[in-house]
Amino acid sequence: MREGTKMLVKGKNVVITGCLKGIGRSTLDIFAENGANIWACCEKKTTEFEEHILGLSSEYNIWVRPVYFDFLDESTVKVAVKQIHQDKDSIDALINIAGITKDALFHMVSMKDMKTIFEVNLFAQITFSQYITKMMLKNKRGSVIYISSISALDGNVGQLSYSASKAALVGVTKTLSAELSPRGIRVNAIAPGVIDTEMTSGVSGTSLQELINSSALKKIGRPSDVAKAILFLASDHSSYITGQVLRVDGGIR
Amino acid sequence: MNSSMLLHNMNTVVTGSNRGIGKEVVRLFALNGANVWACARTPSDAFEKFIEECAQQNNVEIWPVYFDMMNKEQIRDGIKKIMSSKKTIDVAVNNAGITYNALFQMSSIEKMREVFEVNFFSQIIISQYLVKLMLRQKKGSIINIASTAALDGNSGRSIYGASKAAIICAAKSMAEELGESGIRVNSIAPGITQTDMLTSMSDEIIELTSQETHLKRVAKPSEIAAACLFLASPLSEYITGQVIRVDGGLG
Repeated sequence: MREGTKMLVKGKNVVITGCLKGIGRSTLDIFAENGANIWACCEKKTTEFEEHILGLSSEYNIWVRPVYFDFLDESTVKVAVKQIHQDKDSIDALINIAGITKDALFHMVSMKDMKTIFEVNLFAQITFSQYITKMMLKNKRGSVIYISSISALDGNVGQLSYSASKAALVGVTKTLSAELSPRGIRVNAIAPGVIDTEMTSGVSGTSLQELINSSALKKIGRPSDVAKAILFLASDHSSYITGQVLRVDGGIR
Repeated sequence: MNSSMLLHNMNTVVTGSNRGIGKEVVRLFALNGANVWACARTPSDAFEKFIEECAQQNNVEIWPVYFDMMNKEQIRDGIKKIMSSKKTIDVAVNNAGITYNALFQMSSIEKMREVFEVNFFSQIIISQYLVKLMLRQKKGSIINIASTAALDGNSGRSIYGASKAAIICAAKSMAEELGESGIRVNSIAPGITQTDMLTSMSDEIIELTSQETHLKRVAKPSEIAAACLFLASPLSEYITGQVIRVDGGLG
């Protein structure tokens, strides 16, 4: 057990998407450490993943159920939702991490790529949220968390489609907060800065380094930095926080 | 709230700790394993009893420090007491503040100066002292309690809101200056919170404002303290220069 982050979500049942790697994987691990039961969603079944979640469930005495679906294939999303529904366990938090990017300068942005990005980062997440929050409303409590991006707030060269899709999530967050918070479900977003994941490794080195240098802490963030902020927003410690976008960026202006 | 020992063995300073939000911060910090210098203006039996019990229950140390935020010498002596302990400081919560409700045309210059003295100048001076201590170990977290009034503006709160806006702005600059030294600086903007400060508002206004929030209720002081806990703890290691609204969704 890591000192300092103990049992903040003990006994809560949470749905996490994008668990295969990066921020999602780190979130999966930290929620397990903190005592949550987890529907661990990702696109593909791998031996490594199956073994990993088995390890988590035995180490922390929780259940972790794999849920496999592809956000680009609505029929698989429906099957996944059905699987979660049939478990008949209440849902306390929905953490939407799965997301994609494909960087291109404005004049090079293809409509096809843009539509794919919006499909995964926005439309599929909304559809999935519709299903899951319906189940959450039965308990009249819960927390929904979206992962936006500082590029949605500040803009970033080459990230038109990505930043626009993530900016749309800010609108989703604020509107859902207004609609669902009166019924007990808080809705917030996190805007990560430069985080050390595979996704940022695709961005050109110089612009990343410039961003890092412009941050107050002058260092790249770790996936666990974002995961810990998600933990806070899912925990009861944030019971009066809703409709917010929390920057986890080391202080980038 | 169960204890998660998020501040295990940390040393913290909390101003305005004898009531309202500050008192809840002391309670929650102690519950999470922190030692606390609990600063207040005047000694009282009730306060001393509170910190003694709180320290005992959580097996931490809580030391009272008394100074008036309007009095520079007292502030200096209070901080000297903290510094003479030779302990490191990990967290400072600048919570002590005064409120002032007055329409713009009715706001007096004397009251303006007093509000800025307490809510801004004195907080800055305290931070200057404590940053010196934090720099020695190259880590620390400073948390300013601001207000949504600083971000949104509210009728009758031009002076109070401006003083809180000033502290938010200072915190952002401090974050830039101190980031490389491992010191994070953030602010919390509470919305309408169930404290003595509410007594200056009519029930009608309180009810109206709470209906404006997404959660349709006012905040408990402990909910503001919980956000302080997050910003004080390693959970927020990569967060600096931010203002976190703890406002129940004020739109």
